[in-house]
Amino acid sequence: MAVAQVRKPPMGGIGKRVAYYPGCSLEGAARAYDVSTRIVAKELGLELDYLEDYNCCGAMETKNVTFWGTMLLNARNMSLAKRQGHSVIVAPCNGCSFSLQRAEYFLETDKNVFERINSLLKEGGVDPLTEIPHTYHILEWFYHEAGPEKVRERTKKPLRGLKVANYYGCLYTRPHFYARTYSHSGSEEQERPRMRETADDDEHPYYMEALLEAAGATNVEFEPMHTQCCGGPHSLSDEQVSEKFVMMILQTAKRNGADIIATECPLCHASLEMYRHRLMMKGVPDVDVPAAYFTQLMGLAFGYSAGDVKLKDNLSDPIPVLKRLGLA
Amino acid sequence: MAIHERSLVDPERVLRKDRLVIDGVDVSGDWNLIILPRVVNDYDLEFYDEVIAQPEGKTIVNCYQCSYCTASCPVHNYWDERYNPRHFIYLARLGLIDELQKRADVMWRCVSCHKCTHRCPKGVLVEEVLKAILRVMAKRGIIEEYPSKKFDKFFLDSVYEYGRIEDGELLFGWIEKQGYQVVKDPILKKPIPFIGGVPEWLKELAAKPLKNMNIGFLILNAKHMLFHPRTKNWNKFKQVLRKVMEEEGVYTH
Repeated sequence: MAVAQVRKPPMGGIGKRVAYYPGCSLEGAARAYDVSTRIVAKELGLELDYLEDYNCCGAMETKNVTFWGTMLLNARNMSLAKRQGHSVIVAPCNGCSFSLQRAEYFLETDKNVFERINSLLKEGGVDPLTEIPHTYHILEWFYHEAGPEKVRERTKKPLRGLKVANYYGCLYTRPHFYARTYSHSGSEEQERPRMRETADDDEHPYYMEALLEAAGATNVEFEPMHTQCCGGPHSLSDEQVSEKFVMMILQTAKRNGADIIATECPLCHASLEMYRHRLMMKGVPDVDVPAAYFTQLMGLAFGYSAGDVKLKDNLSDPIPVLKRLGLA
Repeated sequence: MAIHERSLVDPERVLRKDRLVIDGVDVSGDWNLIILPRVVNDYDLEFYDEVIAQPEGKTIVNCYQCSYCTASCPVHNYWDERYNPRHFIYLARLGLIDELQKRADVMWRCVSCHKCTHRCPKGVLVEEVLKAILRVMAKRGIIEEYPSKKFDKFFLDSVYEYGRIEDGELLFGWIEKQGYQVVKDPILKKPIPFIGGVPEWLKELAAKPLKNMNIGFLILNAKHMLFHPRTKNWNKFKQVLRKVMEEEGVYTH
C-alpha cells in the first residue's frame, strides 16, 4: 500500500443511540463541554451511551512516538464500543475523533495491522475486533440526527444579536483519508464527490454555523481562520508558534465583529483561552474575544441558565458579553 | 534578480556584486548574481529505505514534488519559511542527511494540522511521512532532543502509567520540566497551581476559578490532580503496550 487509500464510505445516517467517547479532557478541565453536550443531546432527543472504562486516544503526542502503541490504544476503545453493542462511536473532541478515525483507516486498509492488533488485544485481555466501528465528530451527529429544524423547534430563548465566529479547528474535516470528507480534486469550482453522506464540507465547513443560526445567532465571516491551527499539540511545547496562531485567530474574529468564538474541541478551546490571556497581558490589540463551546450556546438557546451549561468554567469569561445582550 | 525559494539556497553559494563590469561592459543589475552549483557526493540511500520501513512512511514513494503541502502549511506561511515539507521529502529521498541536519532546528515544528495530507493530490500522508522522517533522524542521532519530543514522551508516560491523562498534571508537570520552580504540597507531592515560580500569566489564569467562586470546578480538578483518573483493568493491557513499544524502540521508564 504505497498510496493512501480512499475507502468505500458508510452511507446513511449515524443512528440516534451511539457510544459516547468523551475523552480525558471532558472529565476534567473541559467538563463544561461534557455537561452542555449531554444537555443538547437530551433536548434533541438523542441518546449518548457512555463508553465505560475507556482509555486515552493517544492524541497527536503518542502518535508521534509510537505507531503500534497508538493503534492498540484506539483498538481497545473500539473493542469496548463493540462490547457495549455499538457500531458507531461519537467523540466531541477533534483529537479523539481524529485518532479513532486514523486507527479505523489503518485497520481497514492494512490487513497486517488488523491481524497483529487483534492478536495483541487478545493478549491484553480485550475482545478482538470482528468489525471496525465508525467514528464521527459530535457536531456531525447533531447536524444529521437532529438538524437545524429540530434546533429551531427547541429554541426557547433565541441568541438574538449574538455575533458568533465559528471556529472548527484542524482535524474536524481533515485529512479526508481519515475523516472521509470530500475527495479533493484541486479545483474549487468543480463539484466534488461526497465521500459519505454525513460529512461536512472539507475546506468550508458549515454545520456549526447552521446549528447556531437555527438557535438565533448571527454568524460572522471567519474564513480562512475557521480551520486554521491553534498550535494544537504544540500549545505547551512551542509557545511562540501557538501564540502567533492564536493571535491571528482572535484578531480575525474581533475585526470581523464577533462577540464570541464558538469552539468544538477542548484543546482548541483551552489553547485559545490560555493564549488570549497571555496576549492581553502583553497588550496586543483586538484579542479580547471570549470563547464558548457551541453546545453551551445551544444550551442557552434551549432555555438553560448560565450555571446549567457551566459558563463560569470558561477562563475567557464570556458571561459579560452574553449578559450585555440579555442572554445569560 | 530575485531567487525563487531563497531559503533553500545556502547563503555562501550566492555570489552577488554591487557593480560588475565585464570587458568594459557594465552588467550590474540583472546579471550581477551567480548561484554556485552544488556538488553532492555524500548521500545515504538507506535513509530512504528506513523511512519506507516505518508503517506511516510508506506513502512517501508517491510524492511528485508539487509543493501543495508547503503552500498549505501554516508553519511555513506564518512562522518560518525554512520549514518546507516538500523539501524535507526531497532531501529524505536523496538521502542528503547533512542538509536535513542543517534544518534540524525547524523540522520538529509541525503542528499536525494535516492540511498537507488533506490537500495532497497524490495520496501521500505528508504529516505522517514527516514524522517518520523525524523518527528515523532521531534514531540515527542526526537530530537532538527537541521540545515537542520531550513533551510527547511526557504525555506518553502519563498514558502508559494510568491509561488516561489529566490536564493539571500535564500543564504543571511540563512547566516544572521547563525549569520553573513549582511549589508542591508536602504530603502527596502534587503541585499547587497558584503559588511558586509559575509564569505570571498562568498563575492569574489558574486563580480565575477561585476568583469566580467556581467551587465545583475547583473541587473536580483538585480531586483529579490528587487522585489521577485511571482506566480500570489497565495493568494487563499495559504489559502488552510495553512489549509493543519496546519492539519499536520507544523509551518507557
